[in-house]
Amino acid sequence: MNYPVWDLSVGAGLLIAIVAILHVFVSHFAVGSGLFLVVTERKARRDNDPALLGWVKKHTKFFVLVSVVFGAISGVGIWFTIGLISPQATSNLIHIYVWGWAIEWVFFFLEITAGLLYLYGWDKLEPKLHMWFGWVYFWNAWLSLVVINGIITFMLTSGNWGKDQQFWTGFFNPTYFPSLLFRTAIALALAGVYALITASVLKDTALKARIVRWAAAWTIPALIVLPAIGWWYIKRIPADIWANARGPMPTATTYAGLAVLLIGAALLLALVTVLMPKRMNLAVSLLLLLISLGAMGSFEMVRESLRKPYVISNYLYSNSLYSATLPGDGGFSEDEVSANGALKSAHWVVNKEITPANELDAGHEVFRVECQSCHTQNAYRGIRKLIAQRQWDEAKIEAMTGGLNFMHNGVMPAFAGTDQERVALAKYLSSLEPITTEATNASVDGATVFARNCAMCHQVTPADPLFTNLVRDPAAAADALQSLPALFPVMPDLKLTAQQRAAVVQWINAQRGPGGPAYSAQAANTEGAK
Amino acid sequence: MMSTNMVPILDLNPLPAPYWVFKVLLLVTFFLHLLAMNAMLGGAVLAVMAHFTGKDRTHGNRVFLDVAKKIPSLLPATVTLGIAPLLFLQVIYGQFFYTSSVIMAWPWFSVLVMLTIAYYGFYYVSYRGGKDPGRAGWVMLVSTLLVTFIGFIYSNNMTLSMDPNHWAAKYFAHPNGLNLNLSEPTLFPRYLHFFVAAIAVGGLLLVFMALANWKRDNDYARRLLYFGGKTFTFATMAQFVVGILFLMALPREMIMLFMGGSPLASGLMLFSIVASGIAIMVMSKAVRTGNIKVAAVQVPAIIAIVIAAMVVMRDILRDAYLKPYFHPEQFTVKTQWTVLPLFLLLFVAGVVLWIVMMRRFFKAKSVSAS
Repeated sequence: MNYPVWDLSVGAGLLIAIVAILHVFVSHFAVGSGLFLVVTERKARRDNDPALLGWVKKHTKFFVLVSVVFGAISGVGIWFTIGLISPQATSNLIHIYVWGWAIEWVFFFLEITAGLLYLYGWDKLEPKLHMWFGWVYFWNAWLSLVVINGIITFMLTSGNWGKDQQFWTGFFNPTYFPSLLFRTAIALALAGVYALITASVLKDTALKARIVRWAAAWTIPALIVLPAIGWWYIKRIPADIWANARGPMPTATTYAGLAVLLIGAALLLALVTVLMPKRMNLAVSLLLLLISLGAMGSFEMVRESLRKPYVISNYLYSNSLYSATLPGDGGFSEDEVSANGALKSAHWVVNKEITPANELDAGHEVFRVECQSCHTQNAYRGIRKLIAQRQWDEAKIEAMTGGLNFMHNGVMPAFAGTDQERVALAKYLSSLEPITTEATNASVDGATVFARNCAMCHQVTPADPLFTNLVRDPAAAADALQSLPALFPVMPDLKLTAQQRAAVVQWINAQRGPGGPAYSAQAANTEGAK
Repeated sequence: MMSTNMVPILDLNPLPAPYWVFKVLLLVTFFLHLLAMNAMLGGAVLAVMAHFTGKDRTHGNRVFLDVAKKIPSLLPATVTLGIAPLLFLQVIYGQFFYTSSVIMAWPWFSVLVMLTIAYYGFYYVSYRGGKDPGRAGWVMLVSTLLVTFIGFIYSNNMTLSMDPNHWAAKYFAHPNGLNLNLSEPTLFPRYLHFFVAAIAVGGLLLVFMALANWKRDNDYARRLLYFGGKTFTFATMAQFVVGILFLMALPREMIMLFMGGSPLASGLMLFSIVASGIAIMVMSKAVRTGNIKVAAVQVPAIIAIVIAAMVVMRDILRDAYLKPYFHPEQFTVKTQWTVLPLFLLLFVAGVVLWIVMMRRFFKAKSVSAS
């Protein structure tokens, strides 16, 4: 609202995910390879192994072309992209952590210089001096991770920073050390994974087997410890955040499971490679690379998912509104925008007042300033598809947008704005995928009614209020569902038909079982609930 | 439509050091970035020229390859030295910079794609240019055009960031980020001013290469000195015309700044004109007499000071543009005393380590490693 919103049809979240995942996949390789190269060079020199040394030299060239070029540019790329997508968050982070970034820049500058001189030095420098450049490269590369890790983890778990707003309080936050260890292990593993690519194409089979075995063995310790560090990492995340990360949509737990699976697959492949190094070829090495990319991407998605609805934890929401009213916030906190109106608060809208004539346009602008940092119309997290899946008519959209912060375990911030703006938003969203009231009311199957009307907030678990609080008597329960806000004031007024209410009550009772425990494990599994 | 109220408000975190600290860091690091960028861009353009022009193909190809081999080092220097000023720019001018970036989001984002392609192109030429100079010439041309265009996008963003009055019209016409700042009258002369400066510094890069080859291959070195020195001289002479065009394109009150309105701006401009004139004369004589030391030491020294003066003039101009919207007093300052000294310490240590690395590398006697 303070800054213009880039109307990016493919999705802001998708763009940053692509840029960020590709970058981290290369930058971690860049860190780990510093150690891998210099240790392998030392081994080759100590063993007086010119063939191995020749390969390390060739691999250095590959390493520079991937890390110094793509790694460096994509790193700047993340910075460009977050500035375009979340300027408010970037501005905050820059002001809080500019000295952190400045320190990282010093390490980065030394890292790039040392990396290039290590490459150029192969034909020029004495072995000892050459390896010295390798060590300078590695330590500076790792130290740049040491610094940037503080800023990334601050965004996820700001810890006590909210209390004292001190640089180091936020920097050494609860997930700082597990994340540093986790990323270091990833960096080491990736060094071996990338090395397999250049090793796999060697023509000398004996040499290839030796290097493949060395590179694959290099990855194994890191791959083994990764899940354990991951467990520590999760333990350092506030329990309520982790508990809320579970559920049926692709959440942090889904990605964490995927990450563990892919790390397991990589480990298995690495073990097989150690046993049968001659079988390694380019295709298999690229498969391992892809698996690693999947694991790395999943890990980053865990972090991204856990952070929601914030972009800086407990401070700034994804839609750039401050979560609490603070002195100097310019009126851009959730409460202030709710009180004053989104359109009146936003600098970058044309429609300041809503009239019958501009309601649709105004609704579009509300969507842009409130929702578009995560959602698109038709692409990534596309609203149109979500509406079609749920068959929501305009009235239902309007009702549902009143409780966004309750949906999907609170991954979204609440709608901030006036009721009139919410009505305009509903009108606009409905115009993307017009659903008639007849269509909304057409579903009479209990499971479908539940999925389309209740599942965004309620879980099929014994602890969920829906299962603990709703009366068992079918008629009384159906009657109670007639006015949801009367049941609980924050619930949306959904206006289910009598038939729908009866069906959903029947379905809910079926999940609870007749008079038994108020919960069916089978249903929980099929719904993917807690 | 709206004007001043379009400028985003500052976020609520204080500056972690006084304003002037960031201003100094911004100007110093931007100066260093300009040196590397000018040498990279100018060098790339001259490499292309050497490849596609001139009758002596053997010599042309040699110059082409020699210069092209420097680019994969100069480009990362440009990028890494560019990060720091971009960081400090965001600290004090973030409100303006983020907004203009979002308004022209796609061109701005495309910088990354173009830079990556250009970078790999330069590496291709550096590694494979000797084997297939014909193709390498075309690859070099494409990469050079890409980095030339990146500069143009930067000029668009920087001019747009200083012009909040035109933000709303551009943003609301194309909120999808497909905007440039082509309607800005100073855009082309300003860009040309930078581009021609890069050509001149590219000429100095050739002079440095002449110095490095002076004893080893004097004939080749003299030809490099001639090519580089002449390029520098003509480009710097052209700069007088381009500079006047740029000055005349500025709004009247800005022109007056350089005509006595601001003693500092006027003094720096006068100094730059005189110093550039002297540099042209010194270089012409050095080329004529084959005095490599003068060409490779005195002229670059003068030009470095002129570039520094230009950086300050550019800053004065920016603050003049932003005067209605930007007041350094608006910042609250809370110096992070627990971090700032650490940065300064590491910065100094980093500079020392960098020098040690350079000395160790260039003083080492060549050995064959494998």
